[in-house]
Amino acid sequence: MNTTLLEKPTEPTSTTEPAWLSSLREQGKARFEKLPAPSAHDERWRFASVGRLNTAGFTPAAKPDNKTLEKFKDRSNLISGRAGQLVFADDAQAHFEGISQELIEQGVIYLPIKDAIEQHAELMQRYFLKESTELGSEKYFGLHAQLVKAGSVLYIPKGVEIKDPFINYYWTYGKNSAVFPHTLIIAEDNANASVVDIFFSDTEENKALNVSACNIHAASSAKVFRKVIQNWNEKTVSFQLDTTVAERDSYVKNLAVNIGAERARYENQSRIEGPGAEVKMYSLTIAEENQEFDQRTFQTHNAGNAVSDLLYKNALLDNARTIFSGLIKVAENAQQTDAYQINRNLLLDPTAEANALPGLEILANDVKCSHGATTGNVDSEELFYMMQRGIPKREAMKLMVFGFFEEVISKIDNEELAENLRRLIHEKFGSKIQ
Amino acid sequence: MNTLEIKNLTASIDGQPILKDFNLTIPKGEVHALMGPNGTGKSTLAKVLAGHEDYKVESGEVLLDGENILGEEPDDIAKAGLFLAFQYPLEIPGVSIANFIRAARKARLPENEEINAVEYYKELYAKMDALKMDRKFTARSLNEGFSGGEKKRCEILQMSMLEPRCCIMDETDSGLDIDALRIVSEGVNLMRSPERAFLIITHYQRLLDYIVPDVVHIMYDGHIVHSGDAELAKELEVKGYDWVKEAFAGVPA
Amino acid sequence: MTTAEIQNKAINVDTEKGNFKYPENYTHDAGVGLDEDTVKYISDVKNEDPWILDFRLKALEIFKKKPMPTNWADKDLENIHFDKIRYYLSKGQVPARSWEDVPDDVKETFERLGIPEQERKFLAGVEAQFDSEASYSHMKEDLEKEGVIFVGSTEGLQKYPEIFRPYFGKVIPSSDNKFAALNSATFSGGSFIYVPKGVKLKQPLQAYFRINAENFGQFERTLIIADEGAEITYMEGCTAPKFETATLHSAVVELVALKNAKIQYITVQNWSSNVFNLVTKRGMADEGAEVKWIDCNIGSRLTMKYPGVVLKGKGARGEVLSIALANNGQHQDTGAKMIHLADNTTSNIIAKSISIGEGRSTYRGQVHMPKHLKNCKNNTECDALLINTNSRTDTYPAITTRGENNTVQHEASVSKVSAEQIFYMMQRGLSEGEAMSLAVNGFVNDLMKAFPMEYSVELKRLIDMEMEGSVG
Repeated sequence: MNTTLLEKPTEPTSTTEPAWLSSLREQGKARFEKLPAPSAHDERWRFASVGRLNTAGFTPAAKPDNKTLEKFKDRSNLISGRAGQLVFADDAQAHFEGISQELIEQGVIYLPIKDAIEQHAELMQRYFLKESTELGSEKYFGLHAQLVKAGSVLYIPKGVEIKDPFINYYWTYGKNSAVFPHTLIIAEDNANASVVDIFFSDTEENKALNVSACNIHAASSAKVFRKVIQNWNEKTVSFQLDTTVAERDSYVKNLAVNIGAERARYENQSRIEGPGAEVKMYSLTIAEENQEFDQRTFQTHNAGNAVSDLLYKNALLDNARTIFSGLIKVAENAQQTDAYQINRNLLLDPTAEANALPGLEILANDVKCSHGATTGNVDSEELFYMMQRGIPKREAMKLMVFGFFEEVISKIDNEELAENLRRLIHEKFGSKIQ
Repeated sequence: MNTLEIKNLTASIDGQPILKDFNLTIPKGEVHALMGPNGTGKSTLAKVLAGHEDYKVESGEVLLDGENILGEEPDDIAKAGLFLAFQYPLEIPGVSIANFIRAARKARLPENEEINAVEYYKELYAKMDALKMDRKFTARSLNEGFSGGEKKRCEILQMSMLEPRCCIMDETDSGLDIDALRIVSEGVNLMRSPERAFLIITHYQRLLDYIVPDVVHIMYDGHIVHSGDAELAKELEVKGYDWVKEAFAGVPA
Repeated sequence: MTTAEIQNKAINVDTEKGNFKYPENYTHDAGVGLDEDTVKYISDVKNEDPWILDFRLKALEIFKKKPMPTNWADKDLENIHFDKIRYYLSKGQVPARSWEDVPDDVKETFERLGIPEQERKFLAGVEAQFDSEASYSHMKEDLEKEGVIFVGSTEGLQKYPEIFRPYFGKVIPSSDNKFAALNSATFSGGSFIYVPKGVKLKQPLQAYFRINAENFGQFERTLIIADEGAEITYMEGCTAPKFETATLHSAVVELVALKNAKIQYITVQNWSSNVFNLVTKRGMADEGAEVKWIDCNIGSRLTMKYPGVVLKGKGARGEVLSIALANNGQHQDTGAKMIHLADNTTSNIIAKSISIGEGRSTYRGQVHMPKHLKNCKNNTECDALLINTNSRTDTYPAITTRGENNTVQHEASVSKVSAEQIFYMMQRGLSEGEAMSLAVNGFVNDLMKAFPMEYSVELKRLIDMEMEGSVG
């Protein structure tokens, strides 16, 4: 695959950028150039339409004018109760709502990536761009490392608990723009915080490429809850390459709602490094038209006595395709592991196609591991039951389909966001589900 | 006036005849019990009446308050006033009891007419209290993770909220312990009225100690072979279904 | 005794019944390595028609070009040295019709394995293969009268080309995978069976495969055609003595169930732990037909085998029931493929595996409903039992679903035998090994019921032996 991304001179990132970062960018660039394009013969890309993956023709966009940035600031209004908010449009900072003096005094850091590199070099050198994906998109993580400039860093020191979420908006705006958002979350021992990443397009028309990454580090007994709302327009090619490292007794919850993009590859891996850790991975995807959602997950248990639980639900309309490929790996000696993985696909049109590859690799014997995958249409007996109560077929279908979504949405734990999401989904798909 | 009239009903599934020239009339306000050995077609009758698409009606007539309901869509039959309490109520994930019953009530209102939420919840809670159901249940997904008894109580709750004219109760007693049976029966008895007819389908006489029927029918091989008063159920309990099989094998409808 | 000694003992006991060999005195030997001349030699010895040689040579080309399987690969495959294998060995035998005519050493081999005895007891027919060729084949007379054909592959293609040629290599084309191509180039032996319309065999037909020579590759080929409404059960058993170097078994089995026919294919494999067992098995089920694979894999160094059913006609049914047991040094890479190509088709997969010591068992499956089909169903259940702390299991299913009113369900779980369970049984007086065997037998019990009685008894015995000394 040829790409114009590298032919164009990238924007001068920052002349003052430290050497360690320049070196990471160089390595990323080399990796992107050297690694082969995805092939269907690679198990990690099985069933994916690799031909539809195209990074050619996209370039990092110039900074939108101030009026435009102001507009994005106003449109970033999904959640009102928050501890801080960052808004980017085409990787340019549109708005920064920093944290309270009180939190600053407690040692909390919430900054745009660029500022964090300047002000907290040591922290950034330790954590920034250190966790690549292992699920097939190493090439694209290289591109991300080379070109990342927008993003947010959240650092919560020991014992600090913050109730309200931090919200990051990543908008695309220009024509054929490429964006590389990055969210970095570091929670020290006993810290507690939640973050919402929101990916939106300006209009239904602006074509874009997204290669984003998120790294979560949860230290001992830390609690992190990260939510992702992705509603790109259906002209966007998107890679989301997310990793979680969970230390002893930590609790990390990942929840993603994906309803947009022309083609979206979502790699999400959780590595359990300490006993007693608990990691949840929830996702709801609604796919329509010719969308393809390609989800690859990895639950690695390197320590025993830990729990991971994954639930990925997909609803498919029209000619949409989904691929769920998940792997639970229990390392030798990671005894007393509890690991679960469930994938449920709801086919709402006969031309939609769901692929499921739920995998297990178990190298320890004292474990509780199970996985399940189901694919089907709306159950005709359930439909009969509802109609027997007098509910018309169309209405019954809707209730059941939205009921299917509810299992994930109800875990959002933020009524305002959940309501906004329900509305978003209703607006987008309400007329189609019948 | 008859609430339910079934005339010469013959129905099959996958080419296999189940109901064979079945006849039954339930006058307004009466409670009839339908008993019979397993596999004799009792549950099939319930599903055919409710308009289940898997069953093919070969011939016959079914009138609800004098109006034909055969061949109608299940939701139209329900709105016409026929309620089926399922033997195995289905679990509907993500749809709360409150929203479900509200959607069913709304389907009975003229378009653009809304339900008064305050009054609705007041009524719902009162009826739940009567059935000894925890009010927290309203927020729970319909039947999901419910015990057998909870599911059956939830059926009765829906029945009382939707106020049908004709209630078909399919093996409502199966899987209930004695306490749950009493609660469910009380719920049904409260709904007995001169305006409403019941068809209680059961395998055991036990339920009929609590809901005393006006007429008891014995069904065998796709049709009713014998009818009598409440005493017939007790007789059946003593003699057992082998007696039915011997006595009524080959009895034409 | 140390744990290692106990375990070694367990492994030795396991193959005792099959672990003996007779001197090699072959009159036909294709030599070592594989090229066009080897293939021509095999074809020449068999006096084959030109189209068969042509089929072989084309397959050889495919074999040379094809890479090792990618999505379904195991690294151990790299240890197969195709140039060191002997591809054809025989004593020039034509299958004997009477047990008395079988050469003495071969006869003794099969007698030690209990073949003629079993035949007398309950089988309708037996074919026994010693290295490349059938040594003995016999079928009860009444079946012959009904038109049932039960012969070796060579005889089948020569005597009944009009019956077998239309389906030969059609369910599994040579290009299906590298090992199917290898078999297509070098095949010898196996069973060709035709059951005429409406004929329902009450007793199973059986084949027994035996590798006697070192560094040898056995490439039998089986084709079973059940004509409309016909029913047949076929059983195969496999053994080999223990050798220092690797031996290769790479069979191709094609089943054709025409309208409303039923084929049940039962395998109990107990290869010794130096055998690479790479087998392609697939059935085609026409309208209303049923193909059922019952597959039991004990032994071998690496088994890669995923019996499949192509559900081609409306209402066809496919089933795979499989039990795999992997001991130290063994990898059972087994599974199933269900390809739904018509409405109202149903498939069912139940796979149970047991990993002992450092044994590794893998389930790989494919369920495919790629088109606009209606009312199709698949149900898959994979259960893995891990005996020791360092035992390993993997599960890799791939499921594609489209269409209306189709349901696909996959479930897998992993469990172990708990120390408390063992303690409980030992408190009742069972030895640790007995307790373990009992628990393992309980794990596979529901599947065992699917096997004919004689086989489930044999299976239970094999499991007992494998389990001895596995606790430590």
